[in-house]
Amino acid sequence: MLPSGLSDHVDDEEELARFLHQSSLFTTTIVKPAALLPNPKDRETSVSRHGREPREALWEIGLAVAGTRKLYGAAVFKASDVRNAQLEVSADEPPPRHAVIKHWPWIDSDPELQKAKQRELALLISSASGPPLLC
Amino acid sequence: MLRPISATTVGICCIGYAALNAYAQPGSAVSVEAQTVTRAASALMKSAEDSQAIFSEKSSSISQLGELADECSAQGWDGYDAAPIDAIALINAQNFLRALPSGTALPEFAPEPDGSISLDWIQSRYRIFSLSIGPSNRLAYAWLDGTDKGHAVAHFGGSIVPPRVLAGIKSIVGDSNAPIRIV
Repeated sequence: MLPSGLSDHVDDEEELARFLHQSSLFTTTIVKPAALLPNPKDRETSVSRHGREPREALWEIGLAVAGTRKLYGAAVFKASDVRNAQLEVSADEPPPRHAVIKHWPWIDSDPELQKAKQRELALLISSASGPPLLC
Repeated sequence: MLRPISATTVGICCIGYAALNAYAQPGSAVSVEAQTVTRAASALMKSAEDSQAIFSEKSSSISQLGELADECSAQGWDGYDAAPIDAIALINAQNFLRALPSGTALPEFAPEPDGSISLDWIQSRYRIFSLSIGPSNRLAYAWLDGTDKGHAVAHFGGSIVPPRVLAGIKSIVGDSNAPIRIV
């Protein structure tokens, strides 16, 4: 059991939120794949283990991540959507409820091919996620 | 390379446009030749107006790219420590837009965590063509078309959109049913 009270293992049915702090990362119908790509520093995508409800608690976490930036909303998807894209999601506290999407393809000898592969996987999650949840 | 247009050229164009407009108006002429000239002038007028619209749409998109780069010029613009948009990536993306042939839908833009720029053609959540433009001359792209999906890399020299990329865009948005902006 983690300090947040959540299980060490992220269950397939658990919902994950990726907060959106830039208006061009989404449309009203979809969250763009760029919003889900990994950060090259840690090669992971940070998410929060929180679903669509309760909404106030979701935005509270989003605002904490945002700092001084504006919070527009969140992409919400299931852990199974990540695993269906051949990626993995693991708990990564602190902060509470933090998790990471990992095992992104990484090809140091060919960065563009690496990005193309990552993009295809991000598209799969993006498509499964559907419209963003807006503040 | 774009060159400045002289005032003389602008003047000639204005006079030419005005004269063409006069010919394009249906008048009292009834001869076959007069009707042919009127039809030809109308077609030319439409073509000129379409060209202006294209230029305007692309200019607007190029401006949007600049605004996006400004918005994402600080480290961590996404709240997750993303890199600022790369200056060379911005130039490459602008060149790519200029190289897009007429009749091709213009994309939506998004910043990426490594400082590259995403160009996305979104037909629906199940039909997307997504391209990444970074500081190199190689483009990473991927697509989702129902159950079909894939990815590839193509060379972009700065002036001609790679044919495979263009075919990919058109297979998603088509030539005539793009949902966003057609030029």
